[in-house]
This record gives sequence, C-alpha cells and structure tokens, in this order.
Amino acid sequence: MDRGAEITVPQSVATARKHKIRQSISAWIFLIPALMFFVCYQVYPIFRIVWISFTDFEFLSTEPANWIGFGNYIEAYNDPLMWKSMGRAAFFTVMFLPGTIIFPLILAILVDRVRHPLLATLYRLILLIPALIPSTLVFVLWKWMYNYQIGPINYMLVEVFNIFTFYNAPQWLGGTNLTLPSIAIMEIWWGLGYHSIFFLAGLASIPREMLEAARLDGANEWRVFWHITLPRLAPIMMILVVLRFGTSMAVIDEYLIFGGFNRGAPTYTWTVYMYDQAFNIGLWRQGFAAAVGMIGAAVMVFFVAGLVYIFRPRG
Amino acid sequence: MVERNEIELKLQEANRRQLLQGKIDRREFISRSMVTGLGLAGVGVATKYGVGPAYAAEGRPLTPTFYDWIEGLHPGIPGVNERFPGINYQIAPVQGFGIERFVAESKKSDSTWDVYVGQTPFVEMTSLIEADVIEPWDNYIPADVIDDIIPSIREECSVNGKLYNWPFLLDVVGMGWHSGVTNKAGLVDAAPATWDEFLDGANTIKESGAAPFGATFDAHGWRSVAPLAHSGSSDVYTPEGLFDFTSDAAVEALVLMKKIMQTSNPDILLSGASDGGVNGTPDEVAFSTQRVGYYVKYFNAPLRMAQYWDDPKQLHMGPLPKFSGGEGSTVFWTTGCALFKHGQNKEKAAEYIQSLTYDRQIWKDSIAGTETAHVGQLPPYSSIYKEWGESKPDWMLPFVGLVRGQLDRAKSIDNHLFGLSQFQIGQPFWEAFLKGEESDPRVAMQNVTDAVRAEMNRG
Amino acid sequence: MLKQDINYEANTPQQTWFAKHRFSIIRHAVINLFMLIILLPLSWVLILSVKSLPDSMRGQFWPRKFDFTHYSYVFENIQTLTSNMMNSIVVTGATVLLTTFFAVLAGYALVHLKPWGKTFVFTILLLSLYFPTRVVAIISIYELQDFLGLINVTSGLILPYITLNLAISVLIMRSVFQLVPHEVIESARLDGAGLWGTLWFIGLPLARNGLVVVFIVNFVTAWGEFLLASTLINDQEARTMPVVLAAAQGGMGQWAWPRIAAVYIIVVTPGLIAFTFAQKLFFKGLAEGVVKG
Repeated sequence: MDRGAEITVPQSVATARKHKIRQSISAWIFLIPALMFFVCYQVYPIFRIVWISFTDFEFLSTEPANWIGFGNYIEAYNDPLMWKSMGRAAFFTVMFLPGTIIFPLILAILVDRVRHPLLATLYRLILLIPALIPSTLVFVLWKWMYNYQIGPINYMLVEVFNIFTFYNAPQWLGGTNLTLPSIAIMEIWWGLGYHSIFFLAGLASIPREMLEAARLDGANEWRVFWHITLPRLAPIMMILVVLRFGTSMAVIDEYLIFGGFNRGAPTYTWTVYMYDQAFNIGLWRQGFAAAVGMIGAAVMVFFVAGLVYIFRPRG
Repeated sequence: MVERNEIELKLQEANRRQLLQGKIDRREFISRSMVTGLGLAGVGVATKYGVGPAYAAEGRPLTPTFYDWIEGLHPGIPGVNERFPGINYQIAPVQGFGIERFVAESKKSDSTWDVYVGQTPFVEMTSLIEADVIEPWDNYIPADVIDDIIPSIREECSVNGKLYNWPFLLDVVGMGWHSGVTNKAGLVDAAPATWDEFLDGANTIKESGAAPFGATFDAHGWRSVAPLAHSGSSDVYTPEGLFDFTSDAAVEALVLMKKIMQTSNPDILLSGASDGGVNGTPDEVAFSTQRVGYYVKYFNAPLRMAQYWDDPKQLHMGPLPKFSGGEGSTVFWTTGCALFKHGQNKEKAAEYIQSLTYDRQIWKDSIAGTETAHVGQLPPYSSIYKEWGESKPDWMLPFVGLVRGQLDRAKSIDNHLFGLSQFQIGQPFWEAFLKGEESDPRVAMQNVTDAVRAEMNRG
Repeated sequence: MLKQDINYEANTPQQTWFAKHRFSIIRHAVINLFMLIILLPLSWVLILSVKSLPDSMRGQFWPRKFDFTHYSYVFENIQTLTSNMMNSIVVTGATVLLTTFFAVLAGYALVHLKPWGKTFVFTILLLSLYFPTRVVAIISIYELQDFLGLINVTSGLILPYITLNLAISVLIMRSVFQLVPHEVIESARLDGAGLWGTLWFIGLPLARNGLVVVFIVNFVTAWGEFLLASTLINDQEARTMPVVLAAAQGGMGQWAWPRIAAVYIIVVTPGLIAFTFAQKLFFKGLAEGVVKG
C-alpha cells in the first residue's frame, strides 16, 4: 500500500525530514544506555591510560607524577624486550587464530546437517559444555593434561605407547618452545564448542529454500558452500576473527598463570611485560607500562584494520 | 608496655558509676566490665546496655585480613579468633603477591583492614613501606615479645631499626628425602652433611634404579641459588642490599645446581602451574609421584607432597647440606603481619597478633600435622624452642631440633625493593648456564647482575 | 525393466546401504571425534575426583582405590561455596541480560535508525576492543566503584562486567541487524508499527541468532572473571566463585588434585543440568530463525 502517492511533493519532503530528525533522536535514546556504561568504564580508563603514558607516574611512589611527554614512548620503542614480547604474542596469534576459526566451522557445518533430532540436540549440548566451565578451571584442567610427570598425555606417550621415557618426554608447558603451541591447543579446545555454536547460529539463518533451490538447479555441494553458505557466514566469521585476534594478541591471564615473570619464557608477551612493569617491578612504573600498552594497541589496530578489510561482508 | 585504651577507661568509669548509683546490679557490672575489657569490639554490646552511646560512634571491630592459604594450612586460627569476640576476620584480596588494593586505599588515607597477615619481608614489605601503606609495630608490640624474636629473624623484619613485620610463620629451606627410595638404593637414612655426599647419594639413587631421579629442587632463585649460596657463605649481599650474584658462594651454588640437575627430573626448570609459575612447580610433582630421592626446598613442600605417598611416614627431613669448609647457613623467610598505617584498633591488633603467634596449638598442628594440613612452618620465638628443648613433647619431630641449630646461622634474603624481582629478572641469564648455552658460570652471573642493574636504573 | 537390472540390485544390497549412507557415516564419525576431544579431558577430571590421594599422583587412568570424601572436603573447606555460586549466577545472569538489552538497542539504532555520527560511534567501539584497558584500568574502576559506594557490594560488579563485552556485543548485533533488509523495517514503520513495535516484532526475530552469540560471549566472560571480583569485593560471602576457587588451586595451601577435581564437578554440574532443560528454548530459537528467514 503506497500512501506516499497521495501526498504532494513539498509536503512529503518536509515530513521526511521531520521524520528523519525524530528518528535520529530516538536512535540516540537507544544508544544512551550503552554509551553511558561505555564512557564511564571504558573511555575514562582509556583517557587515564593515555594521560598516564605521558607522565613518569609510579604507583608505589608518594611523589606526584611529572609530565614527560613522549619519554616513555621513546623508551619503549627502543626497548628490545618490547618488540620481542610483541613477536611472541604475534606467534601465538598465528598458531591460534586459524585453528579456532576453521575447526569450529567444519564442525558446525557437519552438525548442521544432522537430521536426527535427538542426536542434533545431544551434539549441541556437548559443544556448549566447555563454555560452562569458568576460565580459571579450564586452565587448571590443561595444566593437569600437560603435566610432565603424570598428565594423561605424557602418560600415554611414556607408559602406554613407550614412545618416550621419563627422561625425554615432551615438556609441554612452562617455558619450552612447545609452550605457546600447547596453550594455543588449549584455547582452541575451549573455543571449539562455542565458536561452533556461533557458526550454527549463522548457518541457521540461511533459508533452507535457498539451499534446496541451488541443489535442485544442479549445483554440487562445494559450489553451494562457496557461493551461498560462506557469504552468509561472512559477518559472523569477521566478528570472530576481529574478536579473537584482539583477545589472542592480548592474552594475559593464561600467561600470568602458566608462565610468570621470567623474561626468557615464550609466554612473556607484551601484555605480561606491561603487567610486570605496572604491578610487579620496582615502584610500579605505570607511566611506562601505559606507553607499552598504547604501542601494543596501535600495532593491533593496524593489523585488525587489515583483517576487517579482508573479511568485510560483500553483497 | 601497651597502654590501656583511654576509651576503655571511660567505659569502665561509667560502669562503676552506674553500679554505685544502683542502676545496675553486681552481675551486670561484672559482665559489662568484661565487655569493656574487650576494647572497642565490645562497644556495640556496651551501647545495648546503655553505657555511653557516644562511644559507639567511634571505631569498628578489629579487622585483620589473611592471605587465603594461611587459614587452610593452620586450622588453629579460628580457635584464636574465638578469644576475640566481635572480630571481623577477613580473607585478603591478594592474588599472587598483589598489594594493589592496599596501596589504592592508602592513597586515599583509608584502610578497610587493620592488619594484614601474609607479608613476606623480602617480597612485598619494601614496596609497602615505599608506598607508605604500613607503619612499624614498635609502639604497640610488648618489649619482651620483641626481644623474644630470634635475632636473625628480627633483623629480617626490621628496616632502619624499626620492626615493620611481626613474624608469624617461619619457612626454612632444608631438605627432605624418601626413605623408601634411599633404603632401596642402599643409602644411609640420614641427611647428607655435605654437598659431595648429597651428589653421591643422588647419583647412586639414579644409577641403582631405586628411582628415576636422584634429587630435585625448585628452580626459582630464592629457593635454589640463594640457599645454596648461603650454605657456603651468607655474606653474599651488596652494601645496598641486593644479592651478590657474582660472589664466589653464588657462583659455586650455580655450579652445584648444574651438577644436581644431572640426576634430576628433566622438567626441573619449567615454571609452575599457578601464581605466576611460583607454585605447583615440577619438583613438587616429581616428589609427590615418589620418583625422586632427595628434595631441597622449604619444609612445607616435602610435607605437603608426602601426603600423596602410599606411606607418608617414609618422609624424613633435615637441614640443608653445606659445602665442606662452608658456613652451613641456609635461607629462611617469615610470613608475618603488617600494620596498616591508616587502619584502626592498633593496640587491639597487637594483642591479637601476640595471641596468634604464641598459640601453642597452631605450632603443634604445624609440626605434627593434623588431618587437614601438615605445614612444617616454625615459630619465630626463642622462648618456644627453649620450652621444647627442656621438655620435649611427644609429637615433636626430629627435624625441628636439627634446624634450630641452623637457625642461629641462617639468614634471610636482604630487604630491597628488588628483593624478589632481582631473581625474576636474572633467571633467564643464570639458566643459560644451566642449559649449557653459556659455559662460564661467572659470565652468566655477571649477565644477571647487569640485567638487574639495568632494570633498576630505568626508574 | 530388464531382468538384468533387477538381478543387479538383488546381488549387492550391502554395498548399496553403505554407499547410500557413506556421507552420513563419515559425518557422524568426524563429529564424534570432536565430541571425544571435548569429553575425554572432562571424564579424566571426573575420575580424578574420586581417586585416592596416592592414586592421583600416578598416571594410570583407573584408580586402585576409590575415595569419595573429596566432595565433602570441598564443602567443609569452602563454607561459602553455595553463596558464592549464587552470587556468580546472579551477577552473570544480570550481566548477560542487561548487556544483551543494551546491545540490541544500540545495534538496532546504529543500523536502522541511522543517527548522525553513527560511523564515529562504530569506529570508537571497534577501536576500544584493542585498548588494553583491563590491566591498568583496574585502579580506575576501583576508584569509580568506590565513588559509587559499591566496593564490597556483589551486585556492584554487574556495572563493570556489562562494559567488559559491551563493545563487541554492540558490534555483533549491528552486524546481525545489517542482514535484516532495511525495506522490511521501513514497510513495518509505514504500516504504523511504532519504534518499539518494529524492533520487537520485526527486527528482533530476524536477528535472533545474534542474540545467541551475545549471550554466550557475555556469559563466558562474566562467569569466569577473577581480577575485578577479587579486587572489588572484600568479604568471602559476597565474592563470586572464581575468587574463592583460586585459593584452592594456588598458593602454598594448594589443594590436592582430586579435591580441585571435585570442585570442578560441583561447579559445572548445576550449569549442565540447568542448560539441559533450557536448551529446548535455546535451540528452538535457532530453528525458528530458519523458518522466518
């Protein structure tokens, strides 16, 4: 029903503009709750960090902070540990990110096709179990799994399959070269379930009729996937990549729990370096730590801009 | 001597007046007196009885806060708390050694708590002093108590002559062994006196196949490099209070560590599973799986790990071996109590801590063990040891007597802002020697010192 | 129909069944492989929780002696566990609901209500994901909560928790609403549906699948959050679960492994049971999205 045809032209323009203004106002009303929280708990701390990064603020010191301009940034830029620790985070991201997108995608596509209602529900239930475990307990579980002496993995390798002995079994965690891949595997395991659910949600939004029609038209499975399924999944994939890129570059809890403050360890990434300077060493040089954090953030933004470009939704 | 609180005097005066005026009877007077004797914690009750509502506005109940593991390991603490009715006992929001919350509050000249039990001098005490969060106990601790603290411990807890840490739980680095393993290897069931004997024993254990690994230790610097260096000489600190990594004793300790590693579990250098890698370390796992003979660490560790054995009584402990010709010292540290500068109830806090630290039940439980915990932490007071020396209780274990002798020679790690972090910063560098990447131990130790110095100069 | 055709089919029935179902079999085999990968570690934990102490330090999967006392040990030693769990449930539930609500509003507004400055808001939200605020912000958040008088108030945690995942939730809802054609919204409005009506009856059902994602992301973060919960709350009873559990698995008083495993089972099981009942609603939502789409 097109009422617009009954209205004269000048009146419709005025109504349209008034309508647009009112719509804008209601839009801002919708945005206000989120923005309020955002400004208080996110923007204010960000401004504080930015401000602190230009001072020589030391949390434990009773002296007031002085403005030192870019001093911290120059120091951080010239600090080899800054870039080495950044490289470790990048290495971890490269190992973790593809696995945490691809495996759940495969799993989701497979589970989506399961017709049997009971099995489908059962599978989905099991997929969500790891998400119910609080993160601290997930780390505890994998610390047990990877334990050199009696973890099930080494137990299998040493005492059951006799591939290794007590003296040369792999040392999965704790500072060896295997540490970051091991943590990556743990994170992939953890995300396996609920990333699959994300993809399942995305797949469920693809109308079945579209898929059926394509198949009836003679397209084989691969073409259906590539031309229909994948583009519809693109927004979710982009969200996942953007989200997980950020979290994997900025991992800190796992590294603090598993690795500690040993600078030679591969788990000593730029976030651990930042935490070390801010809450551990000396008088807690939070000004410097803030600068380290800002540089890290800048590097991440640079890379994520590239990723967003690659994964932008098309069509 | 602790001075009687002025408010308590006022309350007691009010009580007496009311008794004389016939407003309350004798029984009431006695119970009220008991209430006022409990200090401000009883003010709430006193108000209910109609004495001085004005005083109720002042003060809050005594609010100590404990590092969470302490209560779990010392089940006698609730018993002490019962002697202080009204106490507001808390568990501190510390993770790892985190003190952020304390410092944040102190900056606002405020403190939710009155006393913190869980401070280790060489770890966070200097930071707390620098940030002006805590104050010395000297005005509140009785003179006879402060003289009763073993001298080396008192030195550990003091800065510029003032006692900032009231010591409570003493951890001493010594050694433990699995007598089942040592017997099987044909070794004597006693602590080796020198490191040469120790190494021989470890080799025998491994070669005879009594256990896969001969000996193990905790690779963190303050649990390995420092005590082993002290066993040669405790004079290994620079004038400014840093550990002197390039001293002869420290270098000797490093070389010894490498020799021990030849018989130890291969994952000995890996970081632990919790608290920034500091706890849940590989040596603990190795010892608890009964795969290793000798174990060098503070006594709590072998005791805790032995609970996993089929027969925990096979655990025996003794003092740290020494280098022949060496001093035979070791490292100890205390976990003690810090007085918040902006806290309240300071006299009450001193009374509480005194009651806590002298509690005989806590020490019995710690040495003999209970169903739930067997800690092996020792008291800091010479009078308690004297008492045990004169009439030895039947639950006493041999290692206490053996260690007491060493305590007169033992030394803590010097207090310094970088007291703990010097070991964290230096670790990759001395480990280069242990892993064989650097062949000269002196060079490795020089790298350690350089790295620590570089970090210190940044501030 | 030639006689040969019929004979051909009758001679090879087995091959036909497998051939016909081979995709299905492979599919289920691969799925089950993943299921095993998820379940095996958890079953190891389950067994660990009933092993005797000496057996827990041996590699063998099956214990020589069972010990069921670990569960009661947990309740004796963490007396506040039930109240801590309730706190976690309340805080997590409120966080999830409120964040979803705000994110839906904001995402819908950014896409379909098109205010001025929407690109600016979008960019700010995206950028904020990459600022490492959490670490240094702990002090700022502490001061803010103190100013609001919310230190040691369990429900006070909800406020910073909402913000933890607010940006990503808004971005998710925005992406999902972008998949809803604008014409659908416009025609609903021209038909006379009000602002809220359009959102509730038209926009939201089509974006339902984004809700699933937002729910899970917020749930996972709030359920396991440790740093803020430990710093902002003093009393053991008022604390959430992860803080209380940290004492069990760290420090010198670190619990024996079977007891931590018992904690594991105690913490995960109620969630699992609740979820089994709730999943009907949960997954029905996903299926309905298909029909409407």
